[in-house]
Amino acid sequence: MKPTRKRSLRPTLRSVLGRAHLNVALLAVGLAGISLTLLGVLALSVYANHNLQLIARSISYTVEAAVVFDDSAAASEALALIASAEEVAEARVFNGEGEQLARWQRADSGMLALLETQVARALLDEPAKLPIMHQQQQIGRIELVGQGRSLLLFMLGGLAGILCCTVLSALAAQYLSRRLLGDITRPLRGLASVAHAARRERSFDRRVPETAIAELNELGNDFNALLDELEVWQSHLQSENQTLAHQASHDSLTGLPNRAFFEGRLSRSVRNAASQQDHMALLFLDSDHFKQINDTLGHAVGDEVLISVAERLRAQLREHDLVARLGGDEFAVLLTPLQTRRDAEHIAEKIVASMKLPVQLDSGRSVATSVSVGIAYYPEDGADPASLLNAADAAMYQAKRKRRGHWQVAQTERSANPIDNRS
Amino acid sequence: MHVAARRVTSCAVSLLLAVLFIATGPARADTATTNAQAQQRAKAVTQVVLGIFSYARWPVEPSPLRLCLVGPTEYADDLIKGQVQESGRPLQVKRLLADDSQVAQACDAIYIGKLDQRQRDKLFERVSGYPVLSISESNDPCTIGSLFCLRVSDQQVAFEVNLDSVARSGVRIHPSVLQLSRRRAVQP
Repeated sequence: MKPTRKRSLRPTLRSVLGRAHLNVALLAVGLAGISLTLLGVLALSVYANHNLQLIARSISYTVEAAVVFDDSAAASEALALIASAEEVAEARVFNGEGEQLARWQRADSGMLALLETQVARALLDEPAKLPIMHQQQQIGRIELVGQGRSLLLFMLGGLAGILCCTVLSALAAQYLSRRLLGDITRPLRGLASVAHAARRERSFDRRVPETAIAELNELGNDFNALLDELEVWQSHLQSENQTLAHQASHDSLTGLPNRAFFEGRLSRSVRNAASQQDHMALLFLDSDHFKQINDTLGHAVGDEVLISVAERLRAQLREHDLVARLGGDEFAVLLTPLQTRRDAEHIAEKIVASMKLPVQLDSGRSVATSVSVGIAYYPEDGADPASLLNAADAAMYQAKRKRRGHWQVAQTERSANPIDNRS
Repeated sequence: MHVAARRVTSCAVSLLLAVLFIATGPARADTATTNAQAQQRAKAVTQVVLGIFSYARWPVEPSPLRLCLVGPTEYADDLIKGQVQESGRPLQVKRLLADDSQVAQACDAIYIGKLDQRQRDKLFERVSGYPVLSISESNDPCTIGSLFCLRVSDQQVAFEVNLDSVARSGVRIHPSVLQLSRRRAVQP
């Protein structure tokens, strides 16, 4: 529960890259923009103050005579003439006694004017005051209130520039991060798909392609090397497994399936036959005098005889029939599907006949051998594997008791019509 | 001859008027209410006269500046107290008779009160060719004679400039003063 939740909270590579790019871009633009705007505002306010002083000076020259003659109308006119053309919000002229001689005020209102006033108040040394001199005497003074329009426009422009640059750099950051993401994720995706194929489908033949990024390429190469090893290991393991499986289900001496394999196959075949109403025959074989051969001629000869018997057995069977070594000198044959009882008896006959030829030993000697065969039919002699085996076993012992080297059909209550044993 | 005769008659008329004015004017104006006004005007006149002096440049800068009051003046009471100009140049004020022959040599500036036409002509004849700054107090058309003509009212003391006279006198007047006077002439 916990790990999955954690995983869902983890940011993707894309979001990490995007955020990193965006942060860098915003930081750069913000720092540059703010510092430039601040510097600009500072420089501009210095110039604006200086400009205000210059305007005051020029007004003082112009109204000097009017102040000397205490001429309010002339002063007002001169004041309006200069102030209206400059960035001045308000201008006053006072005479020597401190009385206001002339006053001019810019007649605009509205949001911009209000903002201008605020900006001017914040950034300009207000009001700019300058004495009016005439013959080295102060005859009056001028007070100027700046308008701050250019400052405001500069600040608004700066702000707009910052915003514009921010948007642009955000877009650029998005684009760059997407490109970088592509460069990084493409090889990673290739790696992931190869890893996925290797894990799910055990297909070790795919390899990670080369990439431009050195670390990822190295990772891919290592991964490929790992895949090579895995492939070798896997094939080795598979062959090992096959060998082991074969060994588990087969007899090492004769190469025939063993008892476990045979029983499994038998019960499967019984199930199939039951559902499809098929007939089968189970042959139980036992080598005659095998113990004697083993005891007198040695185990090596016994083994040779067993191998030979197995070979001959196999040679007599059809493609779908199964022969297995149940243990010692006991063999079993499963005939399926079976058309008629006669077929089974025919095969039993052939088997018995095939054993008539003496077994040629490696040492050059030959040993005579024979088998006794017990036949049990499904479903007549047993409806389940165990009873079928028992019936065949019993029939084999019967054959052994009567005549070794012959076959015998099981004789159970269910066998409708016991057939005479024939040679 | 005709011109001379006409001038004589006009002089006589103006003299008559002046006599009438002098006889009746003060009698009417000399009331308590106008006293303060008169003082105010005198102060304003002083300011304007000193202002004009401050914008005037003589060929040789006089020190002290000798101002002569000629004829009966109405607003020169403050001037005559004698004072130091704003520039620090001392001002020497004295009264002269209208027919004083030394007027051109004794004065750098003359403040002209009420004179009849003959006296005015005589006065201007004497000072012509000398760098003398003349200011008329009385209402004068300001076409001939004085460099400056005052227009005294309760609100303001204005003045006009006679550019021909300024050019002839040799006293240089700062252009801003000329501008101020011209604007005033246009304004009404």
